[in-house]
Amino acid sequence: MIGQKSYLNVCLSALFLLLVAVIVPMWFPPYQVCLVTEVIVFSLYAISYNLLLGYSGLLSFGHAMFFGTGAYATAVALGHLPGLPIYGAIVIAVLLTTVVSFLVGGLLLRHKGSYFALLTLAFNALFYAIATKWYTITGGDDGLSVTRPDLNIGIASLNMADITTFYLFTLICIGAVILFCWYFCHTAMGQTVLLMRENEERMKFLGYNTNTSRLILFTFTGALAGLSGSFYALFFEFTSISAISTDMTTTVLLMTFIGGTGSFGGPILGALVYTYLQDFLSDITDRWPLIMGFIFIFMVLYVPGGLSGMINSIRERFAGTGTPANLIERGGRKQ
Amino acid sequence: MADIPVFFLHGLAYAGLLFLVSSGLTLVFGLMNVLNFSHAAFYMLGAYFSYSILHLTGNFWLCLIACPLLLLAIGALVERFLLRRVHSYGHVHELLLTFGLAYIITELVKWTWGNYPLSVHVGGVLSDKIHIFGIDYPVYRIFIFVCAVVVGLLMSLVIYRTRVGIIVRAAVNDSQMVGALGINVPFVFMSVFAVGAALSGFAGVIAGPLLTTYPGMAAEILIDAFVVIVVGGFGSLGGAVLASVIIGELQSFGVLLIPKLSLALIYMLMAAVLIIKPSGLFGEEQ
Repeated sequence: MIGQKSYLNVCLSALFLLLVAVIVPMWFPPYQVCLVTEVIVFSLYAISYNLLLGYSGLLSFGHAMFFGTGAYATAVALGHLPGLPIYGAIVIAVLLTTVVSFLVGGLLLRHKGSYFALLTLAFNALFYAIATKWYTITGGDDGLSVTRPDLNIGIASLNMADITTFYLFTLICIGAVILFCWYFCHTAMGQTVLLMRENEERMKFLGYNTNTSRLILFTFTGALAGLSGSFYALFFEFTSISAISTDMTTTVLLMTFIGGTGSFGGPILGALVYTYLQDFLSDITDRWPLIMGFIFIFMVLYVPGGLSGMINSIRERFAGTGTPANLIERGGRKQ
Repeated sequence: MADIPVFFLHGLAYAGLLFLVSSGLTLVFGLMNVLNFSHAAFYMLGAYFSYSILHLTGNFWLCLIACPLLLLAIGALVERFLLRRVHSYGHVHELLLTFGLAYIITELVKWTWGNYPLSVHVGGVLSDKIHIFGIDYPVYRIFIFVCAVVVGLLMSLVIYRTRVGIIVRAAVNDSQMVGALGINVPFVFMSVFAVGAALSGFAGVIAGPLLTTYPGMAAEILIDAFVVIVVGGFGSLGGAVLASVIIGELQSFGVLLIPKLSLALIYMLMAAVLIIKPSGLFGEEQ
């Protein structure tokens, strides 16, 4: 399924990422390292969202419920289980969100389109209400603070309180997962999802159980969002109700849409642009969410392909021949 | 158990408000096939406009007329200049647009009126109490219920018994054919969307004195309105009536009987409906 050219592209990107990983902590001040860590965490979140929106055409307004569940699971696990290693907390978070997204998906995926979008928003509100009201576990409005435990890798113990160490840890873990996502998109399963979006009736006739495929994808993306939520809690050393609120869904929606839903790398670009834009705008004005909102509406109206779509069309214009006829690259949108 | 009539009436009042909000939502969805996420934001705008008008003039009846008209204009503009542009991109873009619009309106409201609750006081007859079922009960809550009944009756009359209603329903079924018969279909859709926005504005005015007016009010009512739609069935006016009453009473008696779980009750109802009859009580099978 994976062509030679894509392999080359991925190898080059991986190499590039490795270079970035080495350079960033060396020359940049800690503040920049923090920002880049945030970009990495949100990249995974945006990629998981794009697997739903871009690849399978499911518009969910409740992705924050998995992100928040992951964040809370990490915070609660680290708070209640003394001596729990850092990867233990992450694994617990991922397992819990997998179960949660499987159950939610089983209930909600009976519907499609607008109905599905509405239900996801309503369920997100349910999760938000639980996080606010279940004070003994979640800390309600006060939130929970998280202490990053050191990572013990047998020969040495890595000090996770140091942001550079944590940054490298995040980069390696999330980078590996993102690579896996890329691989997943090119497996038979990933292609099934893509073709289902294009013509579900036909896939059913070919003997595919589209409901099962959709549920697997939904559970997978939920688990990915949970993983990024877990890293979010570890990174900020704090989990608050904002992690599970609709605002977190709006954030990922903005990132995915700014970056573009039509390609695999689009959301990464979106997370990068969004994080730096937010950092820049929040320095100037308190009204930065308003500006973000206008940017979003502008993108929806005039640049439906996002930044990656723009880059692609520019590349096509100059390269003449255009990129290979790949379903993912075109995003399957009627333009 | 002397409280039962009081809580029953409270439930009816909230049901009235829920119906006013969800009827506009279900009207736009049923007729235009657009799920309007900014509906609750329009509702909030109605409440804030009403606060300002009441502040300036002190006349609540004026708010009841002026705010829906303002929202009618806003709704028409939104449909004409935003929604119509993305219509050709398909469903996802329409949803995204209304979602983004709701986000912007909420931010604008925070900017203009501040991020804190405002209280609205209605003077005159509406703030009195009336003796009913052996108890003294605020007239305003009964007024809400009456408004909901009147709006519901008017809507069903217009949609099912007039020429305008026939044209709108025909435009939904086959817009090309209706257009060929010489009817301005885009204008019909614009009007439907604008009327939906006006209805939500009306609901906002009504809600102001009952609930607090604050920037989170949109998100709060939106979820309840969604539950009404899910339980009642998508696009069904009768379903919206029944579901509003069920949820209003459930909320009201939930607070009386099991206060800790009152919030979870409506979600349990929604989950139960989703499991047993996914299309809602009155919804058509997909």
